[in-house]
Amino acid sequence: MTKVVILNRNDEICASIVKHTGAEHRRLANKVMEEALQQAGLSFDEISYVIATGYGRITVPFADRQITELTCHARGVSHYAPNVGLAIDVGGQDAKGLKMNCGKLLDFVMSDKCAAGTGRFLELIAASLNLKLDDLGKLSLKSTSKASISSTCTVFARQEVVSRISEGVPLEDILAGIHDAIASRVARMVERLKIEPDVVFTGGVAKNIGVVKSLETKLGCKVLVPEEPLLSGAIGAALLGKEITLKALAQGKPVQKGRRSLNESTLF
Amino acid sequence: MAWFMGIDIGSGTSKGVITKDGKLEVYHILASGVNYRMASLKLREELLAKAGLGVEDIARMVTTGHGAGIIPFSNRHVADVHCCARGINCIFPSIRMVIDVQGQSSQVIRVDEKGHVTGFAVSEACASGSGCFIEVIANVLQVKLEDIGPLSLYAKNPVTFTTGCAVFGESEAISRVAEGVPKEDILAGVHKALAGKISTLIDRVGLKKPCAISGGGGLDVGLIKKLEELEIQLLVPPQPQIVNALGAALIAGE
Repeated sequence: MTKVVILNRNDEICASIVKHTGAEHRRLANKVMEEALQQAGLSFDEISYVIATGYGRITVPFADRQITELTCHARGVSHYAPNVGLAIDVGGQDAKGLKMNCGKLLDFVMSDKCAAGTGRFLELIAASLNLKLDDLGKLSLKSTSKASISSTCTVFARQEVVSRISEGVPLEDILAGIHDAIASRVARMVERLKIEPDVVFTGGVAKNIGVVKSLETKLGCKVLVPEEPLLSGAIGAALLGKEITLKALAQGKPVQKGRRSLNESTLF
Repeated sequence: MAWFMGIDIGSGTSKGVITKDGKLEVYHILASGVNYRMASLKLREELLAKAGLGVEDIARMVTTGHGAGIIPFSNRHVADVHCCARGINCIFPSIRMVIDVQGQSSQVIRVDEKGHVTGFAVSEACASGSGCFIEVIANVLQVKLEDIGPLSLYAKNPVTFTTGCAVFGESEAISRVAEGVPKEDILAGVHKALAGKISTLIDRVGLKKPCAISGGGGLDVGLIKKLEELEIQLLVPPQPQIVNALGAALIAGE
């Protein structure tokens, strides 16, 4: 997913966009930016600073600066919950745990070697059950006895789901088992960081209430989810952009800007 | 005179044999489907029909494999490593190591001259270490299972997968197809990746020659070729899928 956030000087969101990145993300960044500008009713020149983050951050030709997703994410999460002790982000192809204190990133763990424990797991299960990704969470809450599903491998879990269905296990129990499997995997990943509240959960998977509930049980504490859990990184990037601008202005220096061009990225 | 039955319920296919006097009498293979219980009943029926026997003629029956736990009519359930060792020893008495490539795992087993297990290593519960990885990729490439091996032999530049995960590997295969990489190079890449995983299992137990391959992986000439490129010469049973079921029947007879 590609996300754009425009913040005003009071840190209020003027525009936010979430779009499928697709295969040609370098063609997309400028389009979503134009869309966001339209939503905010601004022209590109009115934007003081643009920061690009995430896996595809180098393919944003109009950014003034690139900053890693960990830094942006930490900033975005601590803006939402200033006392955050552990930030968990589970996206489509990786899962991260950030240990934080007073808004500072102290340590992190990451898992991108295996699809189990990422949003990809849920996507595949939803597809094989012919369900919408957004419906999984709500459906699973009806479960009275969750099915046991392997948490170690997405491919095997998918086969298990098929067997459970043929055994007549109710759909909601299967989904509860799926959510439990992904939550165990995430809980095991962040174990090393010594869990301290507040725990904040973001990324696409945080939109699934079933996973959130299951994660709360596994971690033994409340899990906070921002209203728009996909935007934390982009909000963090915008906040960092504002800080860079204000710092430069306070020092009386010109703001260092990139060679901005609101065009498609080219590689050469 | 006594007949014994061995049944191996795998994640993909179920295999059964009937032995008489320690020798293979008949065998049958069918798809496990999603209901292992049904598969086992059907398999028993087919085997008895092929051998011209009734249920009462079978002195003992041993089950093994992924779905063996739920078979209603078994006398005993034996772990697949033991069945594999016993089965390969009957087919090739000289074999001291067997690589069993199944749908949900791969295992490397050291065997003594009596067909007993003297050491083994099993892959993690992950599709990338099992035959399933090949199936997943063949599926996105729309290559039929029986064509995988022969087609892969045409590979000129086998791809190197950057991921160890079958699901991410699937996306990677799709990207390679989009870039115009031939199917055979992608298939050979999967064989290379799986052979690499198997070779780490071999390192764990220590290579013992001569070696054989069993399980569905034994039907894949592409995988065998990649293992042989790693200096692992392999004997292939005429019907590699039934080795464990044969072992189960032999154990039933002992």
